[in-house]
Amino acid sequence: MTSEQPQALVKGELTLVSRETQVKEWLLAALFFSCAFVAVLGVALIFAFVGWKAWPILSDVGLSEFLLGRVWAPSDGSYGILALIQGSFVVTLGALALGTPLAVGTAVFLSEIASPGMRSVVRPAVELLAGIPSVVYGFFGVVLLRPIIGELTGSVGFGPLTAWIVLAIMIVPTIAALSEDALNSIPMGIREASYAMGATQWQTIYKVVVPAAKIGIIDAIILGMGRAIGETMAVLMLVGNAPQFFAGVGEPISTLTSQIVMDMGYSTGTHRTALFGMAAILFVISMSLVLAVRLLSKLRD
Amino acid sequence: MLSGCDRSHDSATQLIVTGSTTILPIAEQAGEGFVRASPDTSVLVSGLGSSAGIEAVMTGTSEIGSSSRDLKAEEEGLGLVDTPIAFDGIAVIVNPTNPVSDLTVEQLRAVFSGQITNWRQLGGEDRGIDLVNRDEASGTREAFKKAVMSDDARFDSSAVVLPGTGQVRDVVSRSKGAIGYISVGFVEPRFASRRVKALSVNGVVPTEETVTTQEYPIARTLHFFTKGEPTGLAARYIAYVLSDEVQQGVVVDAGFVPVSERNGQ
Amino acid sequence: MDKRVANNIAVAVLWVAASITVAVLGAIIVYVFVNGVRALSPAFIFTWPHGVHAEGGIWPTIVSTLYVTVLSMLICTPVAVLAAVYLAEYAHQGRVVSTIRFAADSLASVPSIVMGLFGFALFVEAMGIGLSMLSASLALSLLMLPIVMRATEEAIRSVPRYIRWGSYGMGATKWQTVSKVVLPAAAPRVITGIVLATGRAVGETAVVFYTMGQAIWLPISPLESGRPMTVHLYLLAVEGINLPAAYGTALLLMLMILGFNLGARWILKRYRKV
Repeated sequence: MTSEQPQALVKGELTLVSRETQVKEWLLAALFFSCAFVAVLGVALIFAFVGWKAWPILSDVGLSEFLLGRVWAPSDGSYGILALIQGSFVVTLGALALGTPLAVGTAVFLSEIASPGMRSVVRPAVELLAGIPSVVYGFFGVVLLRPIIGELTGSVGFGPLTAWIVLAIMIVPTIAALSEDALNSIPMGIREASYAMGATQWQTIYKVVVPAAKIGIIDAIILGMGRAIGETMAVLMLVGNAPQFFAGVGEPISTLTSQIVMDMGYSTGTHRTALFGMAAILFVISMSLVLAVRLLSKLRD
Repeated sequence: MLSGCDRSHDSATQLIVTGSTTILPIAEQAGEGFVRASPDTSVLVSGLGSSAGIEAVMTGTSEIGSSSRDLKAEEEGLGLVDTPIAFDGIAVIVNPTNPVSDLTVEQLRAVFSGQITNWRQLGGEDRGIDLVNRDEASGTREAFKKAVMSDDARFDSSAVVLPGTGQVRDVVSRSKGAIGYISVGFVEPRFASRRVKALSVNGVVPTEETVTTQEYPIARTLHFFTKGEPTGLAARYIAYVLSDEVQQGVVVDAGFVPVSERNGQ
Repeated sequence: MDKRVANNIAVAVLWVAASITVAVLGAIIVYVFVNGVRALSPAFIFTWPHGVHAEGGIWPTIVSTLYVTVLSMLICTPVAVLAAVYLAEYAHQGRVVSTIRFAADSLASVPSIVMGLFGFALFVEAMGIGLSMLSASLALSLLMLPIVMRATEEAIRSVPRYIRWGSYGMGATKWQTVSKVVLPAAAPRVITGIVLATGRAVGETAVVFYTMGQAIWLPISPLESGRPMTVHLYLLAVEGINLPAAYGTALLLMLMILGFNLGARWILKRYRKV
């Protein structure tokens, strides 16, 4: 929607607007366009720089050895990140499994069941959860959760289980807010029609409203997944940083994000290139998720 | 390497010290005392690991690189001058409830390379050994590796890797089967409410005395590296760090052994 | 199962879900508060850390956090607001606008470690700015950009059309209309968006770690380094040398962000005329 502009003023048929003003308007429009283009420029630059720094990994190590290699031991010259990729996925999927029901449940509660009073308590709570920095979540997990999990598993307490719990809480605000928006945008009429046919609230919710908002909710989950894969600080503090394959929910593993932070401070040469390669992979994954959301939304329209 | 190109500092009045997290508190405290005595100067200290510190001083981004490990073979002969500022023992710690009190270096090697996995094999309880390792940037890890792991023994890759001394200590204090290593000075720190138990190695208990006489086998030197002999502000700062005020004050406070003691001054 | 029983069970489950969410928030806040409030004192806020055990206060970290946050706000706001003006007022739907939106969404979902490495590669090394407030602000601005852009765009769109028509009817040009009529009307929401984005920037750790450094320092020029509160909290938590100080830092950090959030709400309430 662009706001209308009377044609006569622009074409200069009436001398209400001088040539000078027309030029000025055009320049301003160009300025605004370039500001908007900064976003595109930013993404392009990230692509370019991270990609450029990561490029040598293809020749130094080789793509298949890098992506599929089972051993990550830079001091020995092994740069296989398969275990790290598995770690990222294990941590993400577990967090999604725990966080999605909680988030969607909260969203459904907010849009379908809560009274205005309850809504004024729960909704700000969700927003506040979104504002807590990831390092505080990590800190909370380390001092409170890790010892408990350590007792439970008989091990040290760093590992997927601890990360799942904290990460699940971290993605709840993302998924819940977007799901709630999706649910709210379903017109009341649909619900009323369902009640008129004698359905209970729950039947209406799971047979009518949620399916109608399905795409919006899936969008929310995908974005929550993006958040989980890209999460760095909390995962770093909780996951144990052992670059091995999954060995149990209480045994340490490592993810792409946490390994980068662990190694970045002292890495040189091929090692550093490998880290940038991992960053490039993370960037591609997050952009693909955004793309997936866009394609899904096109489906809806 | 993270110090970047720093055009904003003038080496005549600002000193940059980067490197070991173990040395960080000493360097910061000494820096404060130094600046108090010479108020027109400033000392910027950061801790990204001994390796990062060595690299920073080699590329010129910092005047002093602090390191809690010796130079590796590939770092020698590049013009770095070493000024030892303290000695440190590395204590092997276990949970206070662990009945094991002494291990040999060979046993430690087997444990940390994953060959021994149950305390029962060391005369303790029937409980799995939870290895706690430091991150690769850590000078403490390097020093431990040098003293305990021989060339063909590698750290078990299933060990938990923690980026800080405090975390290692905290984890070992709470997990009955855990074993880790930290600087002797941190075994009884000021703000900790939980305790850990330091093992004796080869029958030697880690104390200031056994570290000084080098009877305790896992010890290391804490270094300040400079490119070439220290000059100007760096030289004054290092002289201050080697002075009695700092050696008998901050260094002892942090649990390290003053340089002077071993030299018998 | 009787459909009413199913309904009651399901509704109960949903109540539980919402309660867990609120309870977790409460637990985190209470835990940090109870442990952190003991460390808070004017000394904690206004003095420097000193000593082997990082005793004392966290003043330079507070200054570093505020400095980089304000600088990011200054860099990001003009670009984001004008970008949103373009999208809302000037642009025609099409490939270009679609690309811009895709780019903005991508920026919003970039993992913070990737942004940190990017900031390091571009601002710190390639452009030679070094570890500094400026490098960190530039990186943070990129993170804040999509948030402010979206908030501003929605704010502009929610200004009713008739206000614009009135302006054009009086002979104003597009820019005059936008700058003198639309933007002021949209201002409360725009400011809310800026404040919320700033709250997000305050909580960033990985990005700032690789662009600002971690030396404890009181920055004066934007080219100087420093250590923000988030990095300080991380280092305290990981080194474990002073847990009370860690709690205090966490509490102050959360209070700051809470302040930003509440401030944003207050602005919205106070200035909402429409």
